[in-house]
Order: sequence, then structure tokens, then C-alpha cells
Amino acid sequence: MQQHSRGWKVVTGWLADKGLQPFTFQEDAWQAYLQGRSGIVNAPTGFGKTFSLFLGAVIAWIDAHPKDYHKKSRNGLQLMWITPLRALAKDLGRAMEEVLRELDIAWEVGIRSGDTPLATRAKQKQQMPEVLIITPESLHLLLAQKEYPAVFKHLHTVVTDEWHELLGSKRGVMVELALSRLRGLRPELKVWGISATIGNLEEALEVLLGPYHQNGLIIRANLKKNIALQSVIPNEIENYPWAGHLGIRMLPQALPIIEDSQTTLIFTNTRSQSEIWYQSLLKYDPMLAGALALHHGSIDMELRIWVEEALHNGILKAVVCTASLDLGVDFRPVDAVIQVGSPKGVARFLQRAGRSGHQPGAVSRIFFLPTHALELVEAAALKAAMEQDLIESRMPVLLAYDVLLQYLMTLAVSDGFYAPEIYEEVRKTFCYQDLTPDEWQWILAFLTTGGEALGSYDEFRKLERQGDHYYCKSRMLAMRHRLHIGTIVSDAMLKVKFMSGGYVGVIEESFISRLSPGDSFTLAGRNLEFVLIKDMTVLVRKSNAKRTIVPSYMGGRIPLSSNLGRMLREKFNEALSRRTKDPELIALQPLFSRQEELSHIPKANELLIEKITTKDGYHLFVYPFEGRLVHEVMAALLAYRISRIQPITFSIAMNDYGFELLSDQPIPLTAENAKQLFSTDNLLTELQTSVNATEMARRKFRDIAVIAGLIFQGYPGKHKANRHLQSSASLLFNVFKDYDPQNLLLKQAFNEAFFYQMEEARLRETLERIAESRIVITEPDKLTPFCFPIKVDSLRDTMTSEKLEDRIKKLIAVNG
Amino acid sequence: MQNKDTAAREIFRFKQQHWHLLAEKAIYWEEEKALILSDLHLGKSAHFRKAGIAVPAGIMQEDLFRLQQLITRYLPERLIIVGDMFHSRHNNEVQYFKVWRGQFVHIRIDLVLGNHDIMNEEIYSQLEIITHETLTIRDIHFIHEPCEDNNGYLYTFSGHLHPAVVMAGPAKQRLRLPCFYFGRHCGILPAFGDFTGLASLDPAPGESVFVIAGKSIIRTQ
Repeated sequence: MQQHSRGWKVVTGWLADKGLQPFTFQEDAWQAYLQGRSGIVNAPTGFGKTFSLFLGAVIAWIDAHPKDYHKKSRNGLQLMWITPLRALAKDLGRAMEEVLRELDIAWEVGIRSGDTPLATRAKQKQQMPEVLIITPESLHLLLAQKEYPAVFKHLHTVVTDEWHELLGSKRGVMVELALSRLRGLRPELKVWGISATIGNLEEALEVLLGPYHQNGLIIRANLKKNIALQSVIPNEIENYPWAGHLGIRMLPQALPIIEDSQTTLIFTNTRSQSEIWYQSLLKYDPMLAGALALHHGSIDMELRIWVEEALHNGILKAVVCTASLDLGVDFRPVDAVIQVGSPKGVARFLQRAGRSGHQPGAVSRIFFLPTHALELVEAAALKAAMEQDLIESRMPVLLAYDVLLQYLMTLAVSDGFYAPEIYEEVRKTFCYQDLTPDEWQWILAFLTTGGEALGSYDEFRKLERQGDHYYCKSRMLAMRHRLHIGTIVSDAMLKVKFMSGGYVGVIEESFISRLSPGDSFTLAGRNLEFVLIKDMTVLVRKSNAKRTIVPSYMGGRIPLSSNLGRMLREKFNEALSRRTKDPELIALQPLFSRQEELSHIPKANELLIEKITTKDGYHLFVYPFEGRLVHEVMAALLAYRISRIQPITFSIAMNDYGFELLSDQPIPLTAENAKQLFSTDNLLTELQTSVNATEMARRKFRDIAVIAGLIFQGYPGKHKANRHLQSSASLLFNVFKDYDPQNLLLKQAFNEAFFYQMEEARLRETLERIAESRIVITEPDKLTPFCFPIKVDSLRDTMTSEKLEDRIKKLIAVNG
Repeated sequence: MQNKDTAAREIFRFKQQHWHLLAEKAIYWEEEKALILSDLHLGKSAHFRKAGIAVPAGIMQEDLFRLQQLITRYLPERLIIVGDMFHSRHNNEVQYFKVWRGQFVHIRIDLVLGNHDIMNEEIYSQLEIITHETLTIRDIHFIHEPCEDNNGYLYTFSGHLHPAVVMAGPAKQRLRLPCFYFGRHCGILPAFGDFTGLASLDPAPGESVFVIAGKSIIRTQ
């Protein structure tokens, strides 16, 4: 009987002394863990999911050493805890140390991340702590060390925290690969994941344990987090902007929420938006000075840690943040969350809501603050999706050749690897289960001979090979590789420092290169004057300028998830039917009236198309309400089909509601040909011709080239390794396309563009729906509330059927 | 490949000379029977590969093949290279060039040194390349980095920038193309090498710009 084991009694007794009783799911997890099984614990944050596994390991330890579990120290690494965010590590470590102290167990808890000081790393090398909290990148760095297997000699358990966050990203693939190696070293390894609810939990288990696992199980907490969502409705909806993305006009209505709460987290979608909100809040309510903080990925680490500590201790009134505070950090004082603008997905919204009311049973209060009027519909959609438990799935990444190349290099710079052994391990991961022997050979060749097209003059150097053993001889390459481990690709970042000393944060090189000395910009909530760049460091002084430039950070826009998209369409239909009870939709009635007056409000069985002429040219707006991804592809398809009627060039814009084709000549879409232009005939062939697959792949290639080690990113504080080795991803893409079209990395770029971005199935469904619908074409003489947010979007694609020479001649003619 | 009849070129009469602007990214100077080119960056892919970055091999071979075609079409007496002929230090692609050079021993090669041309002088002489800091012929001055102001010569040719222009038009259209750029005092050649990037320039009124659109040359201003 497991319940009566020594360890079990010690732990439950300790909990009882604190007046606590374990949740059923925690006991289930302990039970399964003690039986030596692997699996996933699915529980909302704030219900002790950490303890469901950590205490299991503690119980097992006491059981194994009932006499001397207090004293036994220097036991080597037993339990590795993988966490996606560095911010989580400290918090977790603290909670674990508290348990160990109170139970008087002589285990040590260590943290290993990019922030871990060198001295600590050296100490860990001497003696590994029993528990190591680590990021996926740092785990790979461990694998890049000489004699790394010794580190894992006593390892029996790996827990992957926030697995739902890692799954579906290349960081998740890094975890899969590291686990495959650890299983190779320690065949009895227990692997556990902790995940919030997602649509494909079963698949998440398969990815974590590999497709051949036998004994995995999912332990569900079946506890529902109580979430109260409230929209902040603009006082004067008639005057609220139809477009925009900052939401600053709503700031006065955010202040009472902050005042009435103990601590509020204000989530924005971008770093620049968080900077602007921080500044504006201080301007609007100077009393907040000292009690308001800013937290995002470009802010100095020490400052971020300070903010997190301060959040813990409850001395902050509010923190403006980005996804940097998304994950499960337990900030007890937080009792309200404000989401500025659309969170784009149900899961992310729930995650953020869960930042408040972290205690079991507490209500999570989240306020949705729209940045433009139509976004209110999204609030209504989110509410409905939450009620129906419509949580998104996270699609696992498949055949990421770039990550595999990086991983093999990692193994090569440590002790080297035996190809057949690693091939077997890699093939047992979910990501690479369909890797063919030919592809594997290509990967090995890419690392040893630099791919095909060899001549006697070739001097490619990376890996050496002796039989099946592959290793890296060059210390320079090894060092460069260790600096490059990871899959988060960012623009080259420069340190920002005051002239007088003092570190502010980091900033994109591409941003700073657009500034001239004397220009002012904002970072970490401070107004700074750019003085000069020296040794990869931006030197600044305090600025008194009234107007400053806020860096617009790169980084993709998050597209609306399909779940939210569907709910959104339903809510639009509901709103348009004028039989709604949602306060958000009722508030929007004036806007809908304006839309009706200028154009039309489409009913459930209608597709609205607006043709509008402005000084910019001839616009065609189409509103399928299917989300940005589908619109992007659909717009390209429609543009392509129209362009076959006559030579014409379009620029294309889209948002989550609809898309726009803009041309310098009238667009030949009429009531007669509209149905045919939206048909599903020849869909696949026309899609491949129409969608600018090359451009989409080119965008994907940037990350791939960096991850695969073809591009050196700049490092703060480090000189560029070699100026003669600089090249842009776009240039590399061109030369691969022209000179090595069979390259797997190129193939991966096209795969990522097609399979992840183009949702063919969704598009087909949409077109079939349109085929059944009535197409309503209006010609408003003014821009409508529906089209306005699309029109002002500045990110555009191009589609043309005109000859390049003709386009140039036209442009020359226009520009005089 | 195109033959002479369909070769896309534009004969630009400028400073009393005939400049044949070629879509292959070179200029044929009729009066001097010279091909002018810049920024070949020969050996760049080998340099990358030597450092463990598996860019495709064979880029230089294509570049040299294109140059070979130009030579057989125009039969120049000399090549004037306005800098960055080789990308970096000596590597095996330089040896390949030496073999290639053997086909055209009768052609004189003048290299105006650019910031990438860092090999030892003796290597250039082995390759029968005559190096210069700057070069002046018929009061036409050649220097790698473009000059801003009037330097006293009739005109100056440079490279270094890998120039391109962005053309914007109605309905938010946008195109970015490599170009020949003729400023008031200084003309800038497009980069000849295929493994090179582009830098967008902002031409002033009164300057002449010829864009390279695939296989043709089009004057845009």
C-alpha cells in the first residue's frame, strides 16, 4: 500500500500540520509517480501543480532512504525541472527550498538559465544540486559540455513545466531532443509534463514521451478556475476610434480598476505599447510614481528581477507588462488583470486571467480594454468561448531540420556523437518520427562536407568524422556554437548604457540605426537621448524632450486563433441580428447603425463586399470574419483570380475581420463574376500559384538560418566575430534558391509557410460557406466602420499580373 | 542565355563618352574598350564555407561565367574593377580564379582596391592584376568609395554601396531594384557578384538612375 509508505506519511503529515490537505489530483500524481510512470498533470495555475510532482519526488526520496533522508547530501542531480521562462525559475526554487527546509531534507535546489552567474555555474560543475531548474537553452548548453553524461548519472526524473507553452514551438523541439538524449543515457527516466488545458492534451503527452511510449497517463485536476471577465466599454462609443492599437484613450477608465485593486497587471501585446502605457499612466496619475513598474523582454535583467520581487512583496500598485509575465509566476498580491487589446486566443486570455487570484478558489478578475471599437466584439466572443471551453490546440512542430542541425552540432562540440545511436534516439521523438534515412544523411553531410556541389577546391570545415563518430575539432567553432544555442531569434540587440555608467536595457540594432545623435527615444520607461554607439553599446543621457520615439519592436503579429475566429463570427451575427444580450454588443449599436447607413450589415448567410474609391486608389473590402491567416491567403487567391481578367497590381492588407485589395485601376469585380471568383474550383493549384509562397518562405527562412547556424547574431557586449562573415537571411535565401534548390532548410521554409501559415482546410470551408451565401456588393462614398481598421494597416503584400517592365514604367510616369 | 541581338543594354552618352549599361551589372566603356565592374566579392562563399557555414558552392563559378560571356561579347582590352574584387583572405576559390584568368591572359585587369581587397600584393601579381589606390583615365576617376563633393575630375566612378532604388507608386505599390546611379559628381556601379546584398539610395532630382529589371535596363530618372 503506497499510502502508508514512510515518505507519504511524512509529507501528508507535514501538510496537515499546515492545515492543508492534498487535492485528489496531487495524490493521484504521487501515486503514479511512485509506480514509476510518466505523464502529464493538467491543472489550472494556483492549485499546487508544482507540488503534485515535486512532492512525489520527495516522497520517493524518503521511501528510498527512510533512515538518513535528513542528512544525505551531495547526492548528485536527481530531478531536473525544465521551465520556459527565467522569471519562473526563482519562484519555483523558492517554493521548493521552503518545502525542503521544513521537511529538513539536505537537498540543494539550483537554477540554471542565461542569467546564472559564472561562479554559480562553476560550483554546479563541481557538485550538481539535487534539483536543477533549467531553461531548454541551458539544458542544451549542458549537453554541449565535455563529459556531459556524468552530470546525469543519478538523474531519475525530468519535469517539463508549462509544457503547453513549449509545445508548438521550436523550444519544444529542443526539449524533445534533450529528452531523447537523456532517455538514451538513463533508460528508466521518468518524464512528466505540467500543462494548462489545451485542445490536444493527448497529443501533448505523445510529444513529451515520444510516439512509442507505453506507460504515459494524463492526470486531470478537474478544478475550474473561476474567471470574471468584464469589458471596459468606452463612455462615448460614438466618438471612440474605429482603428488603432494603443488604447490610450481608454486610460482614464483603467485608473479606477487600478485604484480599487491591490495590485494590477496590465498586459499589452507589444513592448512599444507597454512603454507608451507606462509613460501615459504616470502622466495621467503622477501619484502612481514609485508604485508603477514596467516589465518586458528588453528591460535590464536586474530591474526585471526587482519588479518580480516587488510584485511578490506587494509593494507595487500596478505593472505594465507583455508576454514576459504570461506564465505561471505566483504573484499573490495580484488581484486584477487588465488586457489591453485583443489577446487573439482563448488560451492566452485564460493564462493571463490566471495571473490574478492565484490562490485556490479565488476568483480571477480580468478586464478587457478595447483599443478600437470593433474589438469589443472580441470580448463577447472570448466570454462565450470560455463558457464553452473552446480552448485552442497547440500544433507540434514537425521535421524542424534547423533545430536538428543545431542539436547535432551541440553534441559534436561536447564529446562528439555516434550517428547510428543518435539517429535511433532522434527517430523516437515526435518531431522527427518521419525523418528519412536520406534526410539524415543530408543533415550529416551538411555538417561535414557542407552539402553538395563539391569540388577539389572546397574547404568546408565544421565537423570531422571517424567512422560513425562525428565531432568538432575547431575550438573557435565550438565557442561560437555555444553562444548560439537556442531557437528564439531576435534582431541584433545592443546594450543601452548611460554616459555616466548604469545599464538601462537592450534595444534592436535596426531601431537605433535609424536614429541620429541627439534624437530622443524611450526605453524601460525612461526618456533617453541617443549620443553614440561604441563597442556595440548605445550610450545615452537623460532627455528632457517632450516628444520621444518609442521603438517599434519587430516580432510577428499574433493571428486570431480559429476557435476565437469562429466565435467572433457568431457574435457578429448575433450583434447584427440586434437580438443580443451582451453588453459589449449592445454598446456597439451606434457603430453598427453607422455601418448600416453607409453600407450594409451582412447577415449570417451573406458576404459583404465594399468598393470604395479614395485618393489612394480603388479599394475592395471583403469581410469573411475568418481571422487574419485565412484572410491573407484568401486575399492572395482573389487577387490572383482578378488579375487573370486583366493585368493589374494589388497591394493587400488584412485583419481578423476582413481583407482589402487596393489597386491604381478600377477592380473588375462585379455582381456577375463574384461567385466565380470565390469558387473552390482548382483551389489547390491556384493557391500555389497565387500565394506568394516564395515571399512567405523567405520570411520563415530568417529564423531557420539563424537556428541552423548560418547567421551570426550580434551579442550585446561582444564584437561582431568577423565582418566578412556577415550576410542577411534574405541574401542567403536567394543564393540557396538559385544554387542549391534541394536544400532541406529551404524545403523547411516552404513547409513552414504552407502548412503552418496557409490553412487550406479552413479556407476551403470558408469558400464553401461563401458559395452558399448571398454576396452583397455596396459602393459607399465614405470609409465605413468595418473597413477603416483594415485600410490604415500599413503592413502590406503585393500581387501582380503586370510585367515588371510595365510596372516600372508606370511608376516612373506617376513620379514624373 | 541571351545573345548579342537581344542583349539588354542602354547606351548612355555622358561626359562625351559612350557608356553601355549592361543588365549583367557591368558597364562597357566604348572609347576605352573597357569593361567596368565593381564588388565581385569573389571567394565569398568559400570564405563562409571555410568557417563552417554551408552556403552553396558554385556562386563564384556562375559570376565568372557571366563575366566570361561579357568578355566574349564585347572583346574588351581591359577590365576596370572598382574595388572589392575578392571578398576576404586567400582561399581555394582564388586558385579557381587563377585558372579562369588563364583563358584571358591578353586582357589587362586594373583593380582599384576596395575595403575587402586585403590579400598580399604578391597574390595579385600572380593573378596578373594591377592594383591601384585610385585610377584615372581620360580624366575619369575610379575610386572604391563614392565621393560626396566635386574632386576636380571630369567624373568619378565608384562601387562599395551595392546601390538599389525603391520605387513607390499609387495604391501603395513598392519595388526595390539594383541600379546604376549617376550622381552629380560620382556614379555608383551595381555589385557584380551574385552573393551580395543591396543598399537603397535616395536619388536627388537631376541625377540619372537606371534600374536593372531582370534582363533589361530601364531609366527611371
